[in-house]
Amino acid sequence: MKSAFQVNKILLFIIVAALAVFPFVSDSRTWTILLTQIFIFSILAMSYDILLGYTGIVSFGHAMFFGMGAYATAIMLDRFEPTVGIFVLSIVVGMCIAGIISFLVGLLTLRLKSHFFAMLTMAVSGLFLVLAEKWRTLTFGNDGFTFRAPDFFKDRMMYYLLVLGCLVLVYLFLRRFVDSPLGRVLIAVRENEQRTKSLGFQTLHYKVIASVVAGVIASLAGSLYAVSLRFVNTSVLTMDITLDALLMTIIGGVGTLIGPIIGAGVIELAQHYLSGLAKEHPIFERWIIFFGIVYILAVIFFPRGIVGTVKHLFWKRKNPIKLAIAPKRKGLAK
Amino acid sequence: MELLINLLINGLATGMLIFLLAAGLTLIFGLMDVLNFAHGGLFAWGAFSGVWFYGLTNSFTLAILGAILTGVVLGFITEKLIIKPVYGNHVQQILITLGFMIVLSEMLKVVFGPNQLAAKTPPLLAGSWEIGDVIIIKYRLFIIIIGFIVFGIFQFILKRTKIGLVVRAGVMNKEMVQALGINIKKVFLYVFMAGAALAALSGVLMAPYSGVIYAEMGMEFAILAFIVVVIGGMGSFPGSLLAAILVGLAGSFMAYYVPALSLAVNMMLMAIVLIFRPQGLFTAKG
Repeated sequence: MKSAFQVNKILLFIIVAALAVFPFVSDSRTWTILLTQIFIFSILAMSYDILLGYTGIVSFGHAMFFGMGAYATAIMLDRFEPTVGIFVLSIVVGMCIAGIISFLVGLLTLRLKSHFFAMLTMAVSGLFLVLAEKWRTLTFGNDGFTFRAPDFFKDRMMYYLLVLGCLVLVYLFLRRFVDSPLGRVLIAVRENEQRTKSLGFQTLHYKVIASVVAGVIASLAGSLYAVSLRFVNTSVLTMDITLDALLMTIIGGVGTLIGPIIGAGVIELAQHYLSGLAKEHPIFERWIIFFGIVYILAVIFFPRGIVGTVKHLFWKRKNPIKLAIAPKRKGLAK
Repeated sequence: MELLINLLINGLATGMLIFLLAAGLTLIFGLMDVLNFAHGGLFAWGAFSGVWFYGLTNSFTLAILGAILTGVVLGFITEKLIIKPVYGNHVQQILITLGFMIVLSEMLKVVFGPNQLAAKTPPLLAGSWEIGDVIIIKYRLFIIIIGFIVFGIFQFILKRTKIGLVVRAGVMNKEMVQALGINIKKVFLYVFMAGAALAALSGVLMAPYSGVIYAEMGMEFAILAFIVVVIGGMGSFPGSLLAAILVGLAGSFMAYYVPALSLAVNMMLMAIVLIFRPQGLFTAKG
């Protein structure tokens, strides 16, 4: 078991190293931009996985945190100097706003059953979308606005490396987070909330923590997204962003962290190629139908996603009782 | 005064449209324990097919019937293909119905084209009456009347007929109804089809009211219906009527007096209800 773990680590390291040198060996602008996009959406999808995959709660309002980050960065870079310092500050500001909002929304709604929570997050996120459309002095509504990115990121390659670095850091942080005693409690909530409660855990607190972590990471993804486009409009707050995160997580594999990254790659690449096919036949303009159908089939027949299925096959042969060996819960219990 | 009456009629008309959508949602939830996120898609299909039938036949009655038929057929397909495989698993239900919502609204764009369509008010219902200073738009009154008629019909079915008895008993205790020898799965299907028909009816009535129809309208309206279902209490039919009227009125008055808050007011209503009465204003029992 240990050796398999080591192999995984080495494999991941090789992949990251290969991706890091990629822009130095290939000068394809399209690929650099596409990969940057994939990394950003991987971060978003991983944050969604904390909610859906690890805590077992379905949020339909994830776009609002993404949008908060995007707007925080865009507005601050536009109003103040476009420097790296302001960029970092704006990420922190976006994360703080997202953290506070997700804390408040979570406290209000997470005590409800899954249905209500999904509905309410959808409604709250709709509220933020309307707010952004109406508050034109700040956001310029649906028209959006362009802004200057820090000179340091003028070079696409630098930005690519920055986003890749963020992806790796977020992955390591979230991996540590879900493997911590706290993360184990979240998994217990997913498996059986009643039982977790009867073991003495205030499940609401844990769910709120999960929602704050997911919100803050989503805001980081939003900040990176805004700078990669140098443009922001209300589309960053729409349901489409939440749906993207949802599709990536489900198709890649829920509750795996690696899955959402692979899902983001699959979806973004497929999106790229399918919308390219639109010239051949107009049905490809509506490529999202294919995703809708694949997604429905995945939910019914293939609920573990790509990574989950591979892992399941692997585990069934090698180590069927892995989940039983969870770290001892201590410290956080009340 | 005339301003108040106009706002009142506006609010009531919007409230009725939301009620038709929310009534299906709340019945389906109360009976089947399924929250149908694809409901907005059925609503949008009702609107588009209604406008299409109206263009084809030039008769608004046929357009309404055609939309309802579309709703029933889509409801049948949805229940058989989408809802049935995932009964009892809430997370899967939420995910899959949302997925179906995407497919429904994208299919709309494939069938009817991606652009907005204009919807005309039928000549009989166009125009308005002037009573003193008060101008009453005929079509809005028509919507309100239809809403009350539908409420009356459904209330009658629920309270006075055998199928209504089974549905109400099913809301209280599904297993017991099944143990008494009633095929509850069949009842589920009928209720789902009825709910889909109501959503489609709401859609076709909405089309001339707003003037234009577009694929995303389903999602926008479904959010209002969700708010109504939360406020009115999941599974409560009269609750959804009152909550829908409340939401409609709050929306129309706020849109006039404090336009910036017109959507926020519904959210605030919902937040207050959730904090003080999380089960909603009305409960399904009784």
